[in-house]
Amino acid sequence: MRAIWFISQIALFGIIASRMINIPQYFQYYVSGLSVMTLYSAAVFIGFDIYEEAEHGVFEYLLSLPVSRRQLVLGRSIGGGLRSFIYVGPLIVISLYVIGSINPLNFLVTLFSLFLFSFGVSGMSIAIAVMIKSSDRFDILMGVLDALIVRLSTAMYPLAYVQQANPLYGGIASFNPVTFAADLFRWGTGIESTFFTLQNPLLPFLGVVAFFSLFTLLGVTIYERMIEGGGWQ
Amino acid sequence: MQQVPPIIKIENLTKKFGDLAVVDHLNLEIEEGEILGLLGPNGAGKTTAILMLATVIRPTEGTAFVGGYNIRKQPDKVRGLLGIAFQEPKMLWVSTPWDIVNWHAKVCGLSTEERKKRVKETLDAVDMWEARRKNVHALSGGMRKRTEMAKVLVQRPKIAIVDEPTAQIDIVGKHKIWNMLFELRDEGSTIILATNELYEADMLSDRVGILHKGKLLVCDTPKKLKDSILGGDIIDIQLEKDATPQIMDDLKTLKEVVDVMQTKATSLRLYLNKVEEVVPRIMSLFIKRSVPIKSIRMSEPSLDDVFAHYTGLTIEEAQKNGSER
Repeated sequence: MRAIWFISQIALFGIIASRMINIPQYFQYYVSGLSVMTLYSAAVFIGFDIYEEAEHGVFEYLLSLPVSRRQLVLGRSIGGGLRSFIYVGPLIVISLYVIGSINPLNFLVTLFSLFLFSFGVSGMSIAIAVMIKSSDRFDILMGVLDALIVRLSTAMYPLAYVQQANPLYGGIASFNPVTFAADLFRWGTGIESTFFTLQNPLLPFLGVVAFFSLFTLLGVTIYERMIEGGGWQ
Repeated sequence: MQQVPPIIKIENLTKKFGDLAVVDHLNLEIEEGEILGLLGPNGAGKTTAILMLATVIRPTEGTAFVGGYNIRKQPDKVRGLLGIAFQEPKMLWVSTPWDIVNWHAKVCGLSTEERKKRVKETLDAVDMWEARRKNVHALSGGMRKRTEMAKVLVQRPKIAIVDEPTAQIDIVGKHKIWNMLFELRDEGSTIILATNELYEADMLSDRVGILHKGKLLVCDTPKKLKDSILGGDIIDIQLEKDATPQIMDDLKTLKEVVDVMQTKATSLRLYLNKVEEVVPRIMSLFIKRSVPIKSIRMSEPSLDDVFAHYTGLTIEEAQKNGSER
């Protein structure tokens, strides 16, 4: 379903929208952003897995194992990130084919950054799931976050246009991990235009590392202090 | 002589959900190598208590020391000593009994060689070797329960917690599992057995703790619990001829005899304690008075009688009330 959605976004929305929008190479710009959006939504899914495990009592079993909470949460985050990477991998390959150009060394750095990004998103999803303990509220909150985080980023439009629309939006988008990941993806695939050229990839790379570190630390802290079986809705 | 400290020491352990105290200031010591039964109806707090010991649930108040480690401050070390077979079997995303038990053994740190050997032995022992490659969704309730028990048996933890280990299992299977629990104990494990099956608690446990509405009412050996009921043992005596007032008075002089009833002219019912000690003296009395006995039938109180003695309800009645709670 995700693959069909992705392909239809490229083949239908992307192609049609790029004819309306007067930005050179917008189609390639959009495809790269779409890849990062898809990676984000795949990585978030680990939170729903936790509710399913809680519903079947598997969560209590995992908490009873002779494994530290830290190992448990890191394992889940890495697993969630890796799984989303595997699911979205073929779609990234399609993106690369569509975009048409690639700088191999840069793209390796980009891939590594995307892995850290998905690991961080998984950690964020796990932390929120454990804090909320209600699958309905989690569903609503992740829907809201998805709407805001993706739209207040450069996934679909360059930062200059976001800032023109509203400086506050531009401010938020500048520090958004989706922005960092999307910009790095474009840098790795060599997309450049009048409206988008990443001068210094180090900044978004550090941004991704900071995001991943923050949510990994948050996930570990929440797991160690708050996690317990029972009380899941 | 230096006393060996208890392997588990529970101090004021309490769990509240809102205003409801599901476990209410539990104080208990468990000796190393014993099988401690926690007996009570559904809703008594047995599962919540053992989940707190296993550090799955956080206590609201109080704490416990498992193998010297505090469940609040050193939960990782506590879990290193424990193995738990849950009341409801926990089937992982891994799909077959072999996968489940093998994965569990791996996580518990067994070496590859030891793991292969033990997984086979354990699945064999619980009669799951033939079904080891069956998808978990195709397993019956009893098979899932046996797979759940296999996890603890393959692990052989220092402290094994088993929650209703033979629920949904037939009588032959029950005996097999009981024997395995005895073997586990003989190999050095301490076992906490949570159950609402009276016979299971009576047969397996060195001591039984009776829980009701979150509180521990009493904890002692099954024999002492039964003896604690005044006049709990019953002897029905059928005589060849009518019982005389003299014989009834003589019976009442025995200090273990609480009451004597003449149910028919030739039938007596005695309520007493420590029946096995007093029967020879009762027989001597009848011989001395030349009153021939046709038959004699003895019965001991059950743990249900013990439960009723302390709560005023049978376990079945408490179960009905517990479901409302």
